[in-house]
Amino acid sequence: MTEYWCGSVDDEGVFVPFRGSPAELLVRVESLKINMQEFRPLSADLIEGSGFFSGRHEYLRQLREVTILQAQGVIEAAASGKDAELLQMVRMLDQLDEVINLLSERLVEWYQVINPSFSQKGRQGSVKRVLPKIRRSRSRSLRGMADELEGLIAARTSLAADVSRLAAQVIPNTSELVGGLVAARIMARAGGLEKLARMPGSSVQVIGAEAALFSHIRGNSPSPKHGIIFQHRRVHNAPREIRGRVARVLAAKLAIAARIDFYRGEADPGFLSSAQGLIDGIAGGGSE
Amino acid sequence: MIRIDGQLVSPGAGGVYFERMVKGYRVWDPYRSKLAALCMLDESVDLTADMKVLYLGAANGTTVSHVADYVDCVYAVEFAPRPLRDLLVVAGKRKNIVPIAGDATRPDRYAPFLEEIDLLYQDVAQPDQAGILIKHLPFLKERAGIDGGMRVILMLKTRSVDIRRTPEEVFAETVERLESAGLSILNTCWLEPYHHDHAAIVCGGGER
Repeated sequence: MTEYWCGSVDDEGVFVPFRGSPAELLVRVESLKINMQEFRPLSADLIEGSGFFSGRHEYLRQLREVTILQAQGVIEAAASGKDAELLQMVRMLDQLDEVINLLSERLVEWYQVINPSFSQKGRQGSVKRVLPKIRRSRSRSLRGMADELEGLIAARTSLAADVSRLAAQVIPNTSELVGGLVAARIMARAGGLEKLARMPGSSVQVIGAEAALFSHIRGNSPSPKHGIIFQHRRVHNAPREIRGRVARVLAAKLAIAARIDFYRGEADPGFLSSAQGLIDGIAGGGSE
Repeated sequence: MIRIDGQLVSPGAGGVYFERMVKGYRVWDPYRSKLAALCMLDESVDLTADMKVLYLGAANGTTVSHVADYVDCVYAVEFAPRPLRDLLVVAGKRKNIVPIAGDATRPDRYAPFLEEIDLLYQDVAQPDQAGILIKHLPFLKERAGIDGGMRVILMLKTRSVDIRRTPEEVFAETVERLESAGLSILNTCWLEPYHHDHAAIVCGGGER
């Protein structure tokens, strides 16, 4: 006997229809266990010969009702995960950073044209310090742009806080280990909490260092020690010689934390304190 | 296939993805669609009105919509939820597209929805593309005798198979695996200049 979405065909080749709503048909199909070794697809002759469908159009119409229902279910399930919004927020945050950097550079160059004596030398980094100066410039148009940029920077700050807050709820264990922002970035780069939970620690360690990793796989360079994980202070503050080891241990614990987050969804104080102790022990110069 | 002034087109209602229209036909851009590129490079490729097609890796349904303009019906399998949303919109307007949310490495999960097909078309970004294709051969209609016609088109994304090896190595190995699965290779070509590191492999039935 072979099972199909609309019924089954017994060993004599007789079609036995299954009657039900599209939802009932879908539940049935999803419960079927198909052995591909023995499976024979429905033939057009059989569909027509069954007399169950008034014609080709009717067959496709009813079949589509079921498959479209199934597809809609998959789409909804993907959007309803708690991590879906966090993922979008992190990506928005990272793109905001890029945009702010680009606009700041342009703004400073513009300002230098108006005020040729101005130099950024000795004013290390942050545009924030230059912005107030630019906002007093005599070009009205430039002042307007500077105002807008300041607005963007404020929006970025508040979004970052929102990401941390939401991460602490959605991925409490990973957030506890590396902070909400870094945890959320790692999750976003993995493609979601489920993907991260299925990832080995070694992948978590180099997430975000794909260029270096593939260059290594091609045999041109040493393996990367850390990806996004580097953004966490315990990794970038560690002495160079043990940075790789800290990253490795932290990544291993993050992989476990992600699994607890995905399958249990709540903080595990026992796991967290032992993991923190281990990582701090290594970061502090101890041996494994 | 229908060509107007050397441009590949398909008959059907426009406005699926802002495609250009020429004399009431939808222009099928070889730079966007790998199947269109293959049709430009190999004039023997043909889609006919009686064909039932299984399309693996349907993505947003752009190429699917053109295929559906030519054939009887298309079973369009896509795994990722986001492009699936677009595919559903395309399928809403074309009643001969059967959209299926499924993982092409697990045909047993959606096999009950399928019927015997005349053409298997595969365009998936997966490591084991030959393996996936071979798993779907049982869906092909068994024809009396071998008519030498086209049964399978594989768009091989060599970069998804193994970035450590050259596209040529991946290609040679894939062809070998398809032949040992009983398929006869009718034609192969690289999709230059339209797509890079992509090869098209057109197979006939062979004896199964």
